[in-house]
Order: sequence, then C-alpha cells, then structure tokens
Amino acid sequence: MVSDKIAVIGDRDTVIGFRMVGVSEGSMPKSPEETRRKLLEYFRNPRMGLILITERLASTVEDTIIELSQAPVPVILLIPDRLGSTGTHETVLKELIRRAVGVEINV
Amino acid sequence: MSKILPGTKTTRMELLALKNRMALAERGHKLLREKRDSLIMEFFNAIAEIKDAREKVNATLKDAYSALTQAKMIMGPSRVVEFAYASKMRADLTISTRSTMGVRVPVLSVDQENPALPYSLPDSSAKLDLMSSKFRDALRTITRLAEIESSVKRLALEIERTKRRVSALETVVIPRLDATVRFVKLALEEREREDFYRIKMVKERLRQKVPNS
Repeated sequence: MVSDKIAVIGDRDTVIGFRMVGVSEGSMPKSPEETRRKLLEYFRNPRMGLILITERLASTVEDTIIELSQAPVPVILLIPDRLGSTGTHETVLKELIRRAVGVEINV
Repeated sequence: MSKILPGTKTTRMELLALKNRMALAERGHKLLREKRDSLIMEFFNAIAEIKDAREKVNATLKDAYSALTQAKMIMGPSRVVEFAYASKMRADLTISTRSTMGVRVPVLSVDQENPALPYSLPDSSAKLDLMSSKFRDALRTITRLAEIESSVKRLALEIERTKRRVSALETVVIPRLDATVRFVKLALEEREREDFYRIKMVKERLRQKVPNS
C-alpha cells in the first residue's frame, strides 16, 4: 500500500502543532475563497489521503465540503481549533446521512 | 395496473419461463431486504462509535493546543515555529479497504515515526516535548475518527442504493411479472376453452351427419 499524505487547513496554531508531528502539508487561508481553493488543491492531489480542516474555516465553505465528502478518498475531517469545537462537524455529517438514508439522525 | 411485458407469447413454455423469472425476482428481493437490514444495523453501530471517537478527538486536541500555548509562552512563538518546521517526526498514512457485506469500508492507520532526537534538545524545553506527544496522540485519535466517519458515509450510501433496488423490485419488477403471468394464464385458459368448445361442435356435427350412431 502506497503511503498517503495528510494535509491540514487551519489557523497558525493548528498548522504548527501538526507540522511538529509530521503533517507536512498545511495552509492558513485568510478568506473563504482561499479556503476553497486550498481544499480543491489538496482534494485533487492523488497522493492525499486525509484532509483536516478546522470547524471554523469549514463553516465558511460548508457547501464545498459536503460536495467533496461524497468521494471516498481523500477523507475530509473537521477538527476543533484551539478555541474549541463549534459543532459544525455535526451539521456536515447529519446532512450527508440525511441525503443517503433520508432520515435525520442525531450524531 | 401494472404493464404487461410487451411481446410475450401466450404459450406454456413462456409461462414456465415467466414463473422462473418471478421466483428469481422474489428470491433476490428477499436477499436484498436482508442485506438492507444488516447494513442498517452496522450503520447504527458505527454511529454509536462516532460519538465516542469524536469526544476523544476533542479531548486530545484540547490538551495539545494548551501544550502548544504553554510552549509558545516559554520559548516564544517563533522558536516553536522553527522547531516545528525542523522536526524530523513523520506521519505516514495508510489507507486500505475492507469489505463488510459488499461495502468497501476504509481502514486508516497512521504510522508515526518518532526518531530519538527529532529536534535539538538543549534549545528546546520540556513543554515542547509535551506538545509533541500531545499532538501525536491527537493525530492517532483523529485517524480513528476519520476511519469511522468514512465508514458511516459509505454505509449510508450503500443503504440508500439497496433501498432503491428493493423498492424497484417491489413496485415495478415483481408486479409486472405477476401481471404478465396472469395474462398468459388467462390466454391459455381461454384457448383451452375454445378448443374444448370447438371439439364439442365438431362432435355434434359428426353426430348429425350420422344420425344413427
């Protein structure tokens, strides 16, 4: 199995922290457009296996995240930033599940 | 009223063929229903695990961020950045798939290389070590969560597909076959009756020709 890369999209602390433990791809976008651009860039990379994005940034590009989440790879995961979780991850997951099985499930 | 399959010949052979198809469709329907139910069970199991995994991620990340803040306070933010970029730690992700009931579900594992001396020791502080170890833990819990969330999504999609196929069989395929079977049966019976009647007529006529038989 070829090794896949991990990328993180977040704020300074997030990118630095993960950089320390070996996540080499990271970006700190300053606007929703930049966030979207970075997301698509990582998504299109065939070696990319996992994309981490902070909930705060994810909520600015929610529609793109939901669209891209339809693909099995790379996996897109929402993580809290240093200020804590905003619950956005729940919204994205609920929406995906609702689209698939047609019922609203809580978490 | 379901549409009868166009072009069916009203013969006994056709009836046999149709009955076979019907049996096949009904067997398929039963199997699909079972598949749907098993998938739904797996789905709910995975959903239960998600909550737990998500909480772990939140907890480990919280610790990691606070360790990071402490390291920044002690060493200054730019030193922390330097060390982070110079760090020799690696995280290699491996994604493979396993099959649950015909659904390809991802398996994620992260191989974290922690060389004995990832950064120069005398210049850094214990807080940096703490921060590294916390972020490594966080990455592990994150990988697990990514795996579970991904499984949930795959299962959800497969459940939807299976539901559609069950529904298609129930509302279209089987009723159509059923209607066609009945149509052919009816036509065959009608022909038998006609034949029976025709034979009777012929017998009658023969009897009239030979009145004293």
